[in-house]
Amino acid sequence: MRPGALDEDRMERSRRVGWIDLDKLGESKVLVIGGGALGNEVVKNLVLSGFEDIAIVDMDRVVLSNLNRCLFFTEDDAKARSFKAEALAQRAMLMNTTSRVRGIVSRVQDLEEGAFQESDVVLGCLDNIAARLHVNSHCYFYGCPLIDGGTLGTSGKVQVVVPPKSPCLQCSMNRTHYRAMEKRYSCTGSDTVFFEPKLAAEITTTSVIAALQVREAIKILSGKEDRCIRHLLHYDGLTNRMQELEVPLDPGCPLHEGQPSK
Amino acid sequence: MSVRVKVRNAETGSTVDMELEEENTVQEIIEGAAGYWEKDAGAYVLRKGKRLLRGQQTVLDASIGNSDDLELIPDPEGG
Repeated sequence: MRPGALDEDRMERSRRVGWIDLDKLGESKVLVIGGGALGNEVVKNLVLSGFEDIAIVDMDRVVLSNLNRCLFFTEDDAKARSFKAEALAQRAMLMNTTSRVRGIVSRVQDLEEGAFQESDVVLGCLDNIAARLHVNSHCYFYGCPLIDGGTLGTSGKVQVVVPPKSPCLQCSMNRTHYRAMEKRYSCTGSDTVFFEPKLAAEITTTSVIAALQVREAIKILSGKEDRCIRHLLHYDGLTNRMQELEVPLDPGCPLHEGQPSK
Repeated sequence: MSVRVKVRNAETGSTVDMELEEENTVQEIIEGAAGYWEKDAGAYVLRKGKRLLRGQQTVLDASIGNSDDLELIPDPEGG
């Protein structure tokens, strides 16, 4: 070994962790759904962690109010109204030229089924319940682990769904979720009204939640599934409280027909 | 038989005492507490200890008993 050789290996410090299977991360296909604030942080963490095959799905364009929490977007993106998925993919690849990061401009509901089937893990970085339910059911059907993140001001959550064993996102929902969803897609009879509530959001909470999401993905792909969050981790940045919460499997949930309630 | 519980607002730390019947559901508790604190129309969950309670469960099913402490938590929906 020659002096300085260790500093020429991009992943040398990650190798020292010991349990992280860097070969597995490099060859795994990751699907990131949502290219907003969580999507930016998740993709940054994925690329730095050694993931090399990443697809990002988002239909939206960059606006100036995204720039308080989106590392990869610029004022020029906002002026040009660039597609989030494309801007994110282009900038992320600059961090590691061997990585393949693809931006897919699409609604998640229009995504080809194969995208779920071929993915080793899905990271949910969404901002609405309807899209979460869509991703949840597809991941469950194809047996693909889903790590869903959500933020609200200085609080957030991460839920890890590993089919067919664990409860899913739908199991943790109740009538308030469906009311919130109905309000967003309310129909007046002649038209559909899209009500998009502007939720409080800032970067420090986003960073914490995205970091947790990517770490859970690393655990799953490195054979440390038994060390994953079980089932949901709630974070309150104002009171510094982080707690793991158990989600009971809902026997009435269509994804768990025939499974006993836990 | 009715039970008295304390529901805590995770956002503010304030609490409210609620008197419940065995057949009341968890989502009724959520809606009652959210209404009491005049919360925004959003998604909420209720936890008892380390367990999230399922919306359709009744007080009896969820083993909610006298003097239990429950917590109402906004479900973070943003991304």
